[in-house]
Amino acid sequence: MLTLETIDLNGAQSFLNLSNNLNLNKILPNKVTIWKLRNNNPMRKSYVNNKITIEAFDALTKLAVEMSKTLYPYIREILQSRDDIDKNPDPWNDFKNRFIELIYERFNINSMRVKKLIDSNGNDEILLKNILALALCSSDEGYQKLRSSLLNF
Amino acid sequence: MLLNKLIFNQSSVRLEIFGLPDYANNENKNQISIISQWKLMIIDTPLIEGNIEHLSSIMGAFYSYSNFLINNDNGFYESKFIDIKTENYFTHKVLLKSSKSDIKPLKINIGNAVLSDIINCFDQFNASIKVRKVNSVVLNNSPKKGLLKFINKDKTLSYLLPPLLSLCSLFLISSTLIYLYNISEDKEKKALINTKNTLHSIKSIVTIL
Repeated sequence: MLTLETIDLNGAQSFLNLSNNLNLNKILPNKVTIWKLRNNNPMRKSYVNNKITIEAFDALTKLAVEMSKTLYPYIREILQSRDDIDKNPDPWNDFKNRFIELIYERFNINSMRVKKLIDSNGNDEILLKNILALALCSSDEGYQKLRSSLLNF
Repeated sequence: MLLNKLIFNQSSVRLEIFGLPDYANNENKNQISIISQWKLMIIDTPLIEGNIEHLSSIMGAFYSYSNFLINNDNGFYESKFIDIKTENYFTHKVLLKSSKSDIKPLKINIGNAVLSDIINCFDQFNASIKVRKVNSVVLNNSPKKGLLKFINKDKTLSYLLPPLLSLCSLFLISSTLIYLYNISEDKEKKALINTKNTLHSIKSIVTIL
């Protein structure tokens, strides 16, 4: 979801709008609920173990897939930029810099796992895997693919 | 009879399907249930075409391969018609093998953007109600014992689990203590036998002398 927020500058509001469009209001009624659920990530500064329910997990997965469908042209442009890094490096570099900024802002940078994410020399592979997974799941069948992948993580 | 044609586009990829409806099932005249030919056009690469068996094989290959990538596994797929492998996460090497012996295999290198376009095109094809499904995504929905842990709503399990765990721990601790007790007893016995042995050995030395 942080990868999607890196692309959409107004990500938090977009997640809420999509949640309304997908009729997920019962599980994700407001920004705070989404934020609380996202705080289940142990790498975050504000990590709280709220014990995520399967319904909330499914709702967040649906949000991520719908968002990646909407953002597919941008996701593709970033992937294309990484493929032709010598000709058109700007979209990839912008994406990478903003991702690192968000990590500094929200994640516990003393953690070794987070340090790997902010290491600009070695984080290309991690970022590419993330964004490629979103691109491959940006379809009607994407929800099943992403859910299956996350459950097997 | 004219063939029906369906086109699925996604940026650099275009999939064309030709075929006929199944009139025996009273299908709409625009429907394609009997696929006679297909063409896959990827920008900057030669045209790929074939029969329904080839399409099924190629779609299966790309779906399996993309599932490997989504699941963070090593991207590698091998079959009778098609091989796909990753090179440095940036390039995907596709080898298409012809069923005719005189035609050489076709090698194509594609990037991540084109790969996602191909998958997107196949997804559009699968989602279309105008054409019969050829190959769908194979998924494993059973979760591994991993990082994601959810609240179990089944209350009976949460009631039964603590006493079961305590019983198991009691059994483990008691069996360990019994084992340790036996070890100390064994040591005492061994010490006794050793003293006897040394006594015997002194006796034997004396007899030899």
